[in-house]
Amino acid sequence: MAQLTARSLSLGYDKSTIVADLSLELPAGEVTMIVGANGCGKSTLLRGMSRLLKPSGGSVVLDGKDIHAQPAREIAKVLGLLPQTPIAPDGITVRELVGRGRYPHQGWFRRWSSEDDDAVARAMHATGTEELSDRPIDELSGGQRQRVWIAMALAQETDLLLLDEPTTYLDVAHQLEVLDVVADLNRRRNTTVAIVLHDLNLAARYADHLVALKDGEIYAQGHPAAVVTETMVHDVFGMPSRVIPDPVAGTPLVLPIGRNRVVRDINHDENAARAAAGRPTGTLPPVPAAAAAGEGVRPADGDDRQSGGDGVVPAEGAGLRPALEACPTLAYTLTAVAATTLSPSYRRVTFTGEDLAHFGTGGHPLDLRIKLVIPGEGGGVDHFAALRPDGRIADADVTGWYRNWLQIDPAERGWLRTYSIRSFRPAGHPGNMGGHAEIDVDFVLHVKREDGRLVGGPASVWAATAEPGDTITMLGPNANRCGPDYAGIEFRPGSARRILLAGDETAAPAICSILETLPPGMTGNAFIEVPTVDDIQGSFTRSGVSVQWLPRGSNPHGEMLDNAVRSAVAIPAAGAVVAGREPEDIDVDETILWETAGGGNQPFYAWLAGEAGTIKELRRYLVRDAGMNRKQVSFMGYWRRGKSEM
Amino acid sequence: MLKRADTAPATAPADANASREAALSASIGADSSAARGTGRRVRRVGAVLAGAVVVLFIARVVLGSPVVYLDQLAQILAGETVPGLSFIVLEHRLPAASVGAMAGAALGLSGTVFQTLLRNPLASPDVIGVGYGAATAAVTGMLAFGLAGPLLSAVAFAGGLVVALFVYFMADSGKHTGGRFILIGIGVAAMLQAVLNYLLTRTDVRAAGDALHWLVGSLSSSTWERAGTILLSLVVLVPLTALAVSKLKILELGDDAASGLGLDVRRTRAALVVLGVALSACTIAVTGPIAFVAFLAGPLARLLAGRTNFACSAFVGAALVLAADFAGANLFGDISLPAGVITGALGAPFLLWLLVRSNKQGMGG
Repeated sequence: MAQLTARSLSLGYDKSTIVADLSLELPAGEVTMIVGANGCGKSTLLRGMSRLLKPSGGSVVLDGKDIHAQPAREIAKVLGLLPQTPIAPDGITVRELVGRGRYPHQGWFRRWSSEDDDAVARAMHATGTEELSDRPIDELSGGQRQRVWIAMALAQETDLLLLDEPTTYLDVAHQLEVLDVVADLNRRRNTTVAIVLHDLNLAARYADHLVALKDGEIYAQGHPAAVVTETMVHDVFGMPSRVIPDPVAGTPLVLPIGRNRVVRDINHDENAARAAAGRPTGTLPPVPAAAAAGEGVRPADGDDRQSGGDGVVPAEGAGLRPALEACPTLAYTLTAVAATTLSPSYRRVTFTGEDLAHFGTGGHPLDLRIKLVIPGEGGGVDHFAALRPDGRIADADVTGWYRNWLQIDPAERGWLRTYSIRSFRPAGHPGNMGGHAEIDVDFVLHVKREDGRLVGGPASVWAATAEPGDTITMLGPNANRCGPDYAGIEFRPGSARRILLAGDETAAPAICSILETLPPGMTGNAFIEVPTVDDIQGSFTRSGVSVQWLPRGSNPHGEMLDNAVRSAVAIPAAGAVVAGREPEDIDVDETILWETAGGGNQPFYAWLAGEAGTIKELRRYLVRDAGMNRKQVSFMGYWRRGKSEM
Repeated sequence: MLKRADTAPATAPADANASREAALSASIGADSSAARGTGRRVRRVGAVLAGAVVVLFIARVVLGSPVVYLDQLAQILAGETVPGLSFIVLEHRLPAASVGAMAGAALGLSGTVFQTLLRNPLASPDVIGVGYGAATAAVTGMLAFGLAGPLLSAVAFAGGLVVALFVYFMADSGKHTGGRFILIGIGVAAMLQAVLNYLLTRTDVRAAGDALHWLVGSLSSSTWERAGTILLSLVVLVPLTALAVSKLKILELGDDAASGLGLDVRRTRAALVVLGVALSACTIAVTGPIAFVAFLAGPLARLLAGRTNFACSAFVGAALVLAADFAGANLFGDISLPAGVITGALGAPFLLWLLVRSNKQGMGG
């Protein structure tokens, strides 16, 4: 089998270098696709590898010998090439044109033979151009013509075939037609194929090996699933995009995001609902609405608790059901695969685990809250065995597990801490290299070092010292039982086209996650107050929402956020009229400020989360002074200064 | 007018009918039954054209004043002396017709080589200055050094080659074969025309008159010696052309595709340029530049045969020169016009028609 290799190849025209010091080996017997932006040198590379362009440095080696050191005709017996724009002579018939592919096999005096006839017949059979054989080329459609050119290259009967943009100017059906012919050829004759292609999605679908070129250098190469990521598309094509699994082929599918976008009429929730409706749910029995809607923290009635101290231990005998079917909340065993300190206040830990196959709500996590079980000193006993995906749980514990857990000695049970999911990457997601789903959690660090020991909340200390390989238990929604209406998600803009997102550092991961999902056409403001300038993170959104990071510095907590919200949401009539009623007071030190709304038909929606005192002030301002309908705002006191979370 | 017209029914008008018929059937064929028989059609058109050349050749020899009847022609060819006719036939008409047929064929081939090579119907040697190069060199040789025969052919060839290579390299080693190539050629042609005019004005009036007559392109001073010069050239060049055509067929797929098929594009192209110049120059040195023949032969042959075919181009070239010479000698009463005047006068409008037509079909140069 022919082996074509570029060794520190440099190529250029006149004095400008297009490809510099590039090494590439075409995997024998596979289809290699070369992609890249216009002018990245992909066609130049193909020309260099096919002897059309003499390298200014390095070499191209075919089966161990430099292709420029061998007679052109000998190369042409092994290496076929279909250039971008071959020219069909006037009036030539299909068979004649295909026959010209036999040129390298003929000499000055060795003329047409039956062997040539056979090769032409085989090439035309392989490309399905037999019926066209007596037609003049000019009468054919673009796709037919391209097939004929491929037939010509096939008649050359080479082990290697290089094609430069064979689908240019073809409609999508003909593009597939041409690529299918090439793929068949590769499978049947084991021909090594290299194709320069514009269409990234088709390249990903048909390639065994994908090479992404950027500025004349290989940016990435390998299996398409590994190469095509949002980062790659951004770096190579300079374009934001989403990469999802191709529903047809399972290969990565790039959805480009332009600057001007079609506004979707359907809001996120409906989309998610539809997605959830299409999601196979298996043969789950119908569940009581109460059980399905509840998040983990839910007081249960009845006296069905197990003996104190043991947590949720499966009861003996009957009444046990698989947790996977019965319980909306599952306990997931996670392993940290990466831990990165993003800034002085943030540390991102990436978790994975096979349990995550059951995690989610069927839609984007948005501001989805999960609970992490920070282990206490006790350890050893798994208090959540019944909530594990393979666990079995008594009906009573489905709602009663939390109360049971609270009965356990705090030192032994550890701590439950609530976090938002920063991002969730299912298995097969292009940004996810592992075999299982991954989630990122951004921990806010409130720790300081005293006498060489970290001092701070248990979760902060855990996160600050987390290393890959650490395991932790997470409580989160069971994908089998939770839909997009899952109570752990509060961001419900309804049909609002203008939104306000405001929060402090604890809300930043949720806000960043929400921003990523906002559709084009959505406008408004996002304010994120963080401790220092270094904590400002990149946030990405396709929407028209303007994002402002507010580094607190020495200002009191919440002041900047408060001011920003007040400047963004004006008081009607400059306060001359009483806009709204004073909301009932909530003692944030005693109860949790948690007032959520959503799914409405108002044009405006606000989502505020963070320190309870700050949020309470903002609630008063928005409801009383600005007269905002409480059905359009979600207020969430994520934490209270001076109080550790329960 | 003709006593034995029935035995020799083929006259120029009859031939015109024949080719019109061929063109008609050709165009019908192209429309409906696809090109199922393009090969057959080329052979048929080739045969018709060859027949037309033979007929025109005979017409050129027998018609005119005086008319030679076929039995007299047979006698003359058999070696008998027919008083008053033998000299005219053997020393004038036969060599003229032979030179005309061969020169036309060579010009036709030369033009088609260039047009195919450069993928541009405008790129014939007379347009891109190769003809002028050969003519300038030949006139210089004639006027300044009194050259004639094979030596003059060599000088004409050298002149044509210099111009061809100059234009070729000016146009980036033939990478640009479109407008740029043509414009460079036209510029060079204009320059050479100035040189020619300068040469003509600086020489003796009688010598200049001869040169001018030659420059128009004429068969009237054809001799067996000159016919021999052309024949010798063609014996070498035609087989070479036949070999080169197989490479040209690959080259016309485009440089990249040709390279992919293992053709040495640069060397092949250079060889074809030399070949095309040689075909032009060997005739120009003998007959002078006969306008538009190289230019017209290829497109006309393609019009008739439905595709580029070198044999057809050669036949069309030969037929054009013979017909033009015949018309110049016989259709204007006492005045005898050189073939180059006729091809020039009839060729230009036909060229315009061809351009309009080809532009409509979207394959113009």
